Amino acid sequence: MTPVWKRWLPAAVVPAVIAGGAVLGAVQAGAATDLPDKTPQEVLEMVADSSVRSLSGTVEQTSELGLPQLPTDGPSAESDASSGVPSGVASALELLGGSHTARVYLDGHSQARVQVMDRLAERDVIRNGRDVWFYSSKQNAATHLILPEYSESEGHHSDKAWTPESLSEHFLSSVEPSTEVTVGSDSEVAGRAAYELVLTPDSSETLVGSVSIAVDSETGLPLSVDVQARGQDAPAFEVGFTELSLEAPSDDLFNFTPPPGATVTERVVEDHHAKHAQGDHGDRHQGDGKHDKDYTKYGSGWETVIGLPADEVPAELMDSPLIAETAQEVDGGRLLSSALVNVLVTDDGRAFAGSVPLERLQAAAEGR
Amino acid sequence: MSGALPATELAIETTGLTKRFGHQTAVDGIDLAVPHGSVFGFLGPNGSGKTTTIRVMLGLAAATSGYVRVLGQDMPASLRDVLPRVGALIEGPAFYPFLSGTANLQRFDTADRHASSATRRARVNQALDRVGLSHAAGKKVRAYSLGMKQRLGIANALLMPRELLVLDEPTNGLDPQGTREVRSLVRSLAAEGTTVFVSSHLLAEVEQICTHAAVMSAGKLVAQGTVDELRRVGLAHVKVQTPDTEDAGRVLQRLGLAPEPPHSNNDGGSTVRAPLADHTVAPESIVAALVAEGVRVRGFAVESSSLEDRFVALTGEGFDVVQ
Amino acid sequence: MLAALAAVPVLIALAVRLSSRDPGPGQGPPFLDRVSQNGLFIALTGMVVSIPLFLPLTVSVAAGDTIAGEAGHGTLRYLLAAPAGRVRLLAVKYAAAVVFCLAAALSVATAGVLIGSALFDVGPITLLSGDTISVGESLLRLFLVACYVGLSLLGLAAIGLFISTLTEVPVGAMAATAVLAVVSQILDNLPQLEWLHPWLFSHHWLGFADLLRQPISWDSFAANGLLQGGYIVVFCGLAYSRFATKDVLS
Ligand SMILES: Nc1ncnc2c1ncn2[C@@H]1O[C@H](COP(=O)(O)OP(=O)(O)OP(=O)(O)O)[C@@H](O)[C@H]1O
Ligand SMILES: [Mg+2]
Repeated sequence: MTPVWKRWLPAAVVPAVIAGGAVLGAVQAGAATDLPDKTPQEVLEMVADSSVRSLSGTVEQTSELGLPQLPTDGPSAESDASSGVPSGVASALELLGGSHTARVYLDGHSQARVQVMDRLAERDVIRNGRDVWFYSSKQNAATHLILPEYSESEGHHSDKAWTPESLSEHFLSSVEPSTEVTVGSDSEVAGRAAYELVLTPDSSETLVGSVSIAVDSETGLPLSVDVQARGQDAPAFEVGFTELSLEAPSDDLFNFTPPPGATVTERVVEDHHAKHAQGDHGDRHQGDGKHDKDYTKYGSGWETVIGLPADEVPAELMDSPLIAETAQEVDGGRLLSSALVNVLVTDDGRAFAGSVPLERLQAAAEGR
Repeated sequence: MSGALPATELAIETTGLTKRFGHQTAVDGIDLAVPHGSVFGFLGPNGSGKTTTIRVMLGLAAATSGYVRVLGQDMPASLRDVLPRVGALIEGPAFYPFLSGTANLQRFDTADRHASSATRRARVNQALDRVGLSHAAGKKVRAYSLGMKQRLGIANALLMPRELLVLDEPTNGLDPQGTREVRSLVRSLAAEGTTVFVSSHLLAEVEQICTHAAVMSAGKLVAQGTVDELRRVGLAHVKVQTPDTEDAGRVLQRLGLAPEPPHSNNDGGSTVRAPLADHTVAPESIVAALVAEGVRVRGFAVESSSLEDRFVALTGEGFDVVQ
Repeated sequence: MLAALAAVPVLIALAVRLSSRDPGPGQGPPFLDRVSQNGLFIALTGMVVSIPLFLPLTVSVAAGDTIAGEAGHGTLRYLLAAPAGRVRLLAVKYAAAVVFCLAAALSVATAGVLIGSALFDVGPITLLSGDTISVGESLLRLFLVACYVGLSLLGLAAIGLFISTLTEVPVGAMAATAVLAVVSQILDNLPQLEWLHPWLFSHHWLGFADLLRQPISWDSFAANGLLQGGYIVVFCGLAYSRFATKDVLS
């Protein structure tokens, strides 16, 4: 008989080959693709010049509880028609925590579809011209909006809410003297060679360690965004394409009819165009306009603190068991803390949020 | 002994075959030589390692050391060539209880790649017929009696024309007819030239059908050869039936024999036995001496050694299992 | 065992039919709220309900029985003496387990479709994405779902085959395999072990939902196939190594 050890050879070799393959694959994926060197300025211009308007791809996001500035288009589909914000906030937190995979289809400025793929469920946002549909399979409920006329050309912000593009645009707008912008080593995202733009805040008064944006070397399309929290190894927030095709998706995808049996809510969108034009809100994305609230801004750049008056703070925020559990008592209120964002809800009900340490929130609350 | 036979004429040959289970040595360096065409009795008390030897021979278990050749080929290296030519009953029959006898045989036959499916039905029926199970062939094996299962097991070994049959205790649980049937079956197979290797406790039976035999004891092979050779090695006994046991003993001792302690018979008399070494004393002179001394001889016999005597002499009297 | 599996959708259908109150959206197992409008959803509900326990359990029984069952009957020695060939026997046994996996998933789906169409209306199905597809395509998707679920179970079947070569007590092998299936699902739900999740054979079990999106997302089908393939290769390799050297003493 063959020696006993030989018989066990396949059982030992096979896992070794698999492990080897996995390691090799990882090494190859991480292997620096060699692109011609570019300055940060040139990479930024590529992004600005990017003319990609049609794509279909899969986006993956992993994070701890994260950024408050993120638009909440997707989850707001679940919010009640009347009191959009509160449940919007809750589901925004749900969306931002943990991992999500979404498929994104864009065609031109006015056709878009985002599918957030949940376990045995899906949340969809479909935009076709002025029609916007939200659909949640769990509730089997659809919400229909008709956008005001002008949105036809301008409203694409909301559609891109979930793409790396919109996120990086936000960060690029913070490029100012307070930020060091460098080009890191070339990387590969969704099988495409990419430049890595690294933004490092000079300020030590922010929780953000650095932001890396992978920019497609061919089209200038931002492919992924990693936000590194100060003093943390793994990215606190990561969103990026895992698959990407620049071909125009099929038109059928953008034609949505609510399924039979679904609850359909019709909503009217007021024209908030004028307010947007004031530019007071920077380019914070408020595509469908319903999150337009009064708030106060303290500080600037990375150290910005947003203050909400008491009547604007959704009561649900502190009532939600998840949040109540994570909140901790601090001087002057309760603190919701995450790697990237701190939120202080004062005893009189106001809320202050920012990527800053608690002290700065407290200072803002005291009106300093 | 059959050691003189050339190696090529051996149907089974083991060299220093050893099988250990942990610390226990179930088979301890045995050198078996089973000649082609023989009916070979494999004897030994319970737990002496017979079944274990058979398992190693058939490639079911790996030898700890030593070599096995079956039908002239190394085992288990040539297992695929050898096993189709070997029919086996290993440590009792085993079947799927929820299938009929026929279905069971067909299933085992399917497992043999060399068995043609075209002749399967005919061969299965023929095998069932041979063991007298034709009438119960459609019955679920769950409903078979012990002896019926045993017969089905033998039928399984006979599905194909075999060069070697290995039967581990084939007559276990069989009725007298069945036992006779198996005996004649083995004879007819042997007549066709099939080598039959039978392990058994039934010495009388081995004596009747076997041409060769080997005796195992506690994992060791203690004797091997033709049945006649084995029997001849044992001593003949004189047996004196008499009420005067003491006198008889004295006479026998004077004649140079070593009488065993007497034991009494059911009829009130007693028997004195003494081994009779070859040609030392003529039996008739013993009777004369006994009568001359006034011993009341009620019976006198010279018994040649039986295989049982030989077996007990080799493996010990004790009833307890050695291993 | 297949009949027991087929009973799952039948029981669900009867329960929904006999209850006076429709389950509200999001209540009960997924898809249950759609059943009263469209009987085809019974097949999906049945699938979701069977995946965590019933399907793995039956597959554990089938796979755990492969070698240990033969050893337990004592028929293993006769099969090997036939000779069946150890590798061949292992291959045939695993092939049978594979067929069982697919048959198990298909019988849940088929029973669901049959009882669903008997007790409820049947119409176009609404996908998770909110799009609606015709009955014909719905049946095709259900078939794909059944194939996906069958495929998902192949890794477990390979594990069962390996465990089955370790023992002569079939019940032990079955129980051990079933326990592993449950443990894997529990581990998959512990956020602390996130790094381990992609390596668990049960990780993609509910990924058949990706076949109910528009367009179909084949990612989890591919990922699942790769994962199950890995399990098959490793555990069939282990089973081979174990069985090729094993002393058959039963
Ligand atoms: N699976 C096993 N594990 C450990 N020891 C075993 C095993 N099978 C057999 N043995 C031991 O090996 C020895 C030989 O057993 P074997 O079955 O070969 O005896 P045997 O000669 O066939 O006995 P019997 O006449 O009762 O059938 C015994 O002492 C037994 O205890
Ligand atoms: Mg035995």
